[in-house]
This record gives sequence, C-alpha cells and structure tokens, in this order.
Amino acid sequence: MERRSLADRLRSAWLWIVVVVLYLPLVAVGLASLSESRFFLFPIRKYSLKWYEESFASLQIRDALWTSVALAAVVGVIATVLAVFGALAYARHDWTGKGWYQQIVLAPIFFPQSVLGLALQLWFNTLGLDMTWHASVFAHLVWIAPIVTMVVAIQAYGYDASVEEAARDLGATRWMVFKDVTFPLLWPGVFSGLLFAVLLSWGNFPLSYFTSGADVTVPEWLYGKMIGGYTPMVPALGFLSVVAGGLVLAVGLAIQARLSRQP
Amino acid sequence: MPQPILERSPILELRGVDKIFGDFAAVERVDLSIAEGEFFTIVGPSGSGKTTLIRMLVGMDAPTRGEILLRGQRINETPANKRPFCMVFQSLALFPHMTVGENVAYSLKCRGIGKKERRERATECLALAHLPASYYDRAVTKCSGGEKQRVALARALAYDPEVLFFDEPLSALDYRLRKTLEKELKDIQRETGKTFIYITHSLEEAMVMSDRIGVMRDGRLAQVGSPREVYDRPRTRFVSEFFGEVNAFPVTAKDGRLWCEPLAMAFDPPPDAPAGFKSGALIVRPEHLHFDPAAAEPIRGEVFNEYLLGSRVQYQVRAGGTTLLVEGMGGQPPATREVALSFSPADSLLFAE
Repeated sequence: MERRSLADRLRSAWLWIVVVVLYLPLVAVGLASLSESRFFLFPIRKYSLKWYEESFASLQIRDALWTSVALAAVVGVIATVLAVFGALAYARHDWTGKGWYQQIVLAPIFFPQSVLGLALQLWFNTLGLDMTWHASVFAHLVWIAPIVTMVVAIQAYGYDASVEEAARDLGATRWMVFKDVTFPLLWPGVFSGLLFAVLLSWGNFPLSYFTSGADVTVPEWLYGKMIGGYTPMVPALGFLSVVAGGLVLAVGLAIQARLSRQP
Repeated sequence: MPQPILERSPILELRGVDKIFGDFAAVERVDLSIAEGEFFTIVGPSGSGKTTLIRMLVGMDAPTRGEILLRGQRINETPANKRPFCMVFQSLALFPHMTVGENVAYSLKCRGIGKKERRERATECLALAHLPASYYDRAVTKCSGGEKQRVALARALAYDPEVLFFDEPLSALDYRLRKTLEKELKDIQRETGKTFIYITHSLEEAMVMSDRIGVMRDGRLAQVGSPREVYDRPRTRFVSEFFGEVNAFPVTAKDGRLWCEPLAMAFDPPPDAPAGFKSGALIVRPEHLHFDPAAAEPIRGEVFNEYLLGSRVQYQVRAGGTTLLVEGMGGQPPATREVALSFSPADSLLFAE
C-alpha cells in the first residue's frame, strides 16, 4: 500500500473533527440521561437507568409520544401523496402556470418556522379551527410537503420521460402508465420522501408549539421542561427521541437497499 | 417477385400537414403517401422536422393543419394508444425496472393476455430480434447496447403494429454493430411484411435499408424517391450535398456552355440541364472527378493531401484558389503533384440559384 499523503491525512482529520463536533452534544445528552443525580454534573458519580424507568412510567410522556407518533404518521402519508402529484406537476407535465408553481412551491421552506407558526396560528384562529394536533398536521404540511415534493421531483427528473410515452404507445391507459411505469420509477424518491416527512415532523418544534394548543408533542414537552422544572427525564426522552429517529432512518434505508437489490 | 412498392395501396397518407409551434413552422405542407409493406426512411439534418413529423404520425402530437389518413380513414383525433402503430425511440425507452421479458410482453399485458401466452409470444418476438429465450428473465439494465436495441425491437414487434416507427435508434451504437443491425432490420421487415418508417440523419443508413427515402429540410420534404433516384437525380443542391462532400463549381451560362470564373474555364452542361439557366452551381461528386492526363480541357491543379478511406482514397486538390475533392478506388495514384482532372457532363448536376 502506498503511504497516504499529508493532504489525505489532513482531509480525514478534518472529517473526524466535523463528525465529533456534530455528534458530541448528542453523546453528552445520552450521558446526562444516565446520571443518577437530579442535576447535570460532570463527571458523573453514579450511572443509572432510573430516569428512563420514570420516563416510561410518566403518563405525560406517554401522551406526548402518542401525539408525536400520530402527527408524524399522518403528516408523512398526506405529505407523500401530495408530493407525488405535486412532483409530477413540477417535473413532468406542461401546463399554464407551471412557471409560477415552480417558483412558489418552495417558498414556505424559506420562511422562518416560528414566523410561519405564528402566521398559521393567526390564520387558524380566524378560520375558527380548534388548536389541537390536528391543526398541527396542517401546519407541518405547509412546511414539509414542499420538501417532499422536491425529493420526489428529483426522482422524476432522474428517469427518461419517454418511457411513459412508450408505455402509452404500447397500448397502456393513463392509469396503467402510472401504475406500471411512473410509480415504480418514482418509488425510491417516494420512499425517501416519506422518511423525510416522518423525521421532519417528529423533530419539529416551532410549528407544533404555535398550533397544537393543549396537545403536547415530544419536542414541546422537552422545551416545556427545560424552561420550567428540569428533570433528567429531559435528556432521557431526548435521547430516546433521537434513537427512534435513527431507527426509522436505519429501517428505511435497509428496506430500500433490499428492494433495490431485486431486478 | 414482390409487387413494386408504388403500385401497392397506401397505408398512410399525409395531406397538407403543418405543425406550428408559436410562430415557428416545424413541419410545413407535407404531402406523402406510404405504401403497405414499405421501408420508408425520412432523412434530414437535426431540426429539419423529421421527429415532429413522426410524432404526429404516431399520435404524440397533433398536426396544426392537414390530415393524416390510415387506409383512407382520418386518424388526426385518434390517440397514440388507439393507433395500430408502435415506435422504437431514440432513447429506446425500455422500462428499466422490468426484465427483458416484461418489457417485450408489456403490450400483451395491457391487452389483458394471460401470463402463459404472453411468455410464448414474447419469446417468439425475442427470436425474431435474434435474442435467445434465456434472456426473458434477464434485467434489462444488464443488457449491452446492441441487446437493448433488440429488446426494443422485440417489444415493438410484440405489439403487432401495422406500422413500426424508428426514431434514430441506432445512432448511439458503434459503426460495426450499426451496420449489422441495419441489415437485420431490413431482413426483419421483409420477413414480417410490415411497414417500417425510419428516421435518421444518416443517408448512408437510409440507403442501405430503404425502399424509398424522403429528404427533409426546414420542415418540408425536399425530395421523395428510391435511394438510387435520390442519389443520382437529386432535385436540389441541398439534397445532392446531403450525401456527403461534393465539388460545387459556381457557373454562369455563356454561349451554350458554363463559365466557371474561379477556374477561368468553361464546362459542357449536363444533358438534362434546366432550360434558361443563367447562373448557379455545377455539382460533381468526388468519385466522378478523375485524374485524366489526356483530357482535352482539363482542370489543372495540385494535390496537397491524401486520405485513405478504407477501400477508397480521397485527394484534396488545389485548383484556381478552391479545393477540389477527388475520390479513387485506390487504383492509380497520380504520378506527380501537378494533376489534370476531368469529369463527364452526364455525371454532373446543375442547380440554378
């Protein structure tokens, strides 16, 4: 083997620095959750899983988890369905107003989320909508659906559009073209989009904060405890939340890898 | 002997077909009649409207004006999936997520034909396209370029269309494979007796395969005829030059002969020269210009380059400030750099300008 050049070594050192800086805080949260002490002190005197036990026993946390899971699932499904058709409109079909649509579909992403949350809260109030996690579904969709649309649109740009014309030429109806050609070719993007939607909704704080009313999601509960009444259940639940997100991602990637291995 | 092409009944007719995009006419006033079982090739440079023309025939675009008739019935309003046509795309447009067999059998699946019969018929079509039945379950993405061509052809044949369209499907292949597939395509067309309509920018390709050729330029058909007719009797200078490099002498009529100012000499006009010709271009193909030391009125020049083109040799000759091309079969190379050239008036083409 050749000796690695100085530039190579510097590059990999830089890579490791970036990784450590990014993930060290998460590790710190993990450590904090394992300390028996009620206050976060380093070095940790005694390790314990007691805060995890308490977290699982807490009804408040159970409610928050349920709300977050339901919210992420509903947002994931609706955003993905919207995104498939939105992406086809974005990338495939020619229609009047397509230029405008392409310009503004991404606009909500560039709004600061807290401003967007406040604006949506005022808007929901005006419409007389109840502030529950159902309202948060709409709020999340405003922000997440455009992102998923982009993810699927990239996939739509990634394959040769003439395959759809070919299918039609071979006698397929519009529905058959969608079912047999378009959707299978879009599928990798649809699946990544679904993962994105679930994870973005799972971790979202500002939009939920302004719109969920009395319902509390996991990020909201964490925030609430941070500003009034810290308990080591915060790092415990925080760490669990990260692990859950990581699991969703890992399982998703594994499924995708498995599917793409088949011809 | 098969019936001569032009005496057969037309399967497809175009009458005054225009296709206008905004203020640009991609296809203009095209009248064309294609016979049953004919191999018809539309040739033209890129942007000449040949793809637009074929898309209208297949039903992917609608003509702005004019009529398209299938066996005398207007089909302007018939959508692509209802026309008995099939297209082999330039990109081939194979379904990348399906196997070879699923690709070929797709049209049969669309018609609701059962799995077993689909497999049988698809295998037959694979055989027609010279692919073994073992390819049926292969992923289409694992096929080579030539194999993909065959899959695309088999897929089109499985649809059992009355007319097959080809949009330059061979253009991405290397020369030898292209030559093989051109001949195979011609054989398959004869075997199946189907009408093939092929578009290409390569006249060489068109010459090999076609019964008739239509040369397109700027959205119009410049000439339609057999490969021989188009080659020997091109109707315009554009068509004559489309076959490859030519020598074009600017000439003016003078005392019954053609005066060429740059060479300061006169030529005899070709026997079928247009009456009342004043000025224009006299076209002589490189293979019709000969080294001829005994010529009565030779073009005098100087050889300055020589290219070996396989079986032929091409010489560049400087004469009177212009460069002439001379092609020989590699027989007698000129003994000196100073050469005398001549051509037979019957081999020249005169176009007024």
